[in-house]
Amino acid sequence: MGRAVNTLTIWWDPAADGPTNMAADECLAAEAERRGSLLMRFYDWSATTVSLGGFQKIEDARQVREISGIPVVRRPSGGGAIVHGSDLTYAAAVPKDHPLGASPQILYDALHGAMVEALAAHGIDVQPHPAGRPDVPDTDSSSSRFFCFDRRSAGDLVMASPTAGTCCKVMGSAQRRLAGVVLQHGSLLLQSNAGVRGAARHLGVADLLLGERPPERVGLSRAWAQRIAAALGGAMREEEASFLSDHSRDVAALTARFREDRWLARR
Amino acid sequence: MAADLKFAKTHEWVRSEASGVHTVGISSYAVEALTDLVFMQLPAVGKKVKAGESFGEIESVKAVSDLYAPISGEIVEVNTALPGKLDTLGKDPYGEGWVVRIKADNPADLDTLLDRGAYESLVGSQPH
Repeated sequence: MGRAVNTLTIWWDPAADGPTNMAADECLAAEAERRGSLLMRFYDWSATTVSLGGFQKIEDARQVREISGIPVVRRPSGGGAIVHGSDLTYAAAVPKDHPLGASPQILYDALHGAMVEALAAHGIDVQPHPAGRPDVPDTDSSSSRFFCFDRRSAGDLVMASPTAGTCCKVMGSAQRRLAGVVLQHGSLLLQSNAGVRGAARHLGVADLLLGERPPERVGLSRAWAQRIAAALGGAMREEEASFLSDHSRDVAALTARFREDRWLARR
Repeated sequence: MAADLKFAKTHEWVRSEASGVHTVGISSYAVEALTDLVFMQLPAVGKKVKAGESFGEIESVKAVSDLYAPISGEIVEVNTALPGKLDTLGKDPYGEGWVVRIKADNPADLDTLLDRGAYESLVGSQPH
């Protein structure tokens, strides 16, 4: 198959559990390396799930009372913990020799920049967190470094809170950089997650719009992907079948590793 | 960048030594690209590694990257001070920032690596 550097191919996947989603994302990375182009998978979760960053300690997760009893999966990518269920979750994969694959910030900025534009089309103003600004947690709770949405680094998307006079992080991404390919996970928090309380619950786009409905997930994802493809100077192609059905055998083979305690408790 | 180094495309460097034990580290290009390093996981002494396989991991603020063995052999020494002083990787990547020492199984592995000029061409062609 020839390389299509400026093409973006996307898949829509049904809800699945954490280990299945992580396995599918590793398959996505392998597929991107084979195709030599940018691929994205949009997916949902069959239950509210906490995904841990690749190096986070399982003991730290066990000490956060607000997520007790919620399924936990460890991502291969870095970053902080995310409570999934009310967010737009995506995985993107790109070969390292692709124009977007050379360094971490290039891919963050390309994808997050396109999301700024996609949300602006809905009249929603989000901005990238500037480089060099201190990574100040939004709260002073003991778990404030645990959750992705309490951390900030360059390129994270933040949105002004109309009541608190501050900005809240609404989108973050993190990568796994393998020998020939980069896998990037990310999450746009559309609204706060009613399945969790306290430190585990963060304000999403709809909350910061003072209760207005957030943009519809599929429509926003499609508009976002079209902008990413346009910035590459190419086209976006939607696959008709889901990635999970197209790669069911490979995903099943990898899922067991993400279910193992050895993986979950590796740190 | 020292002239006596060889490089893997995955950005590890190797300094060859007559004893057959080779020092391995991470190029300054890779360290700069990762930015804001926060954690590093290194192998145990005695671990056998194969060229091209992951032998450790390094995490920056937003990315986890695997470290790949540039040659096959046995890890005979690990820079155990490095995870506690990650800034050394940026300050002195080709000296105090060495990562592991590998006793090579096959010296011919070194012939597959890039010399300095070829590595500089590789990274020079990549966007920053």
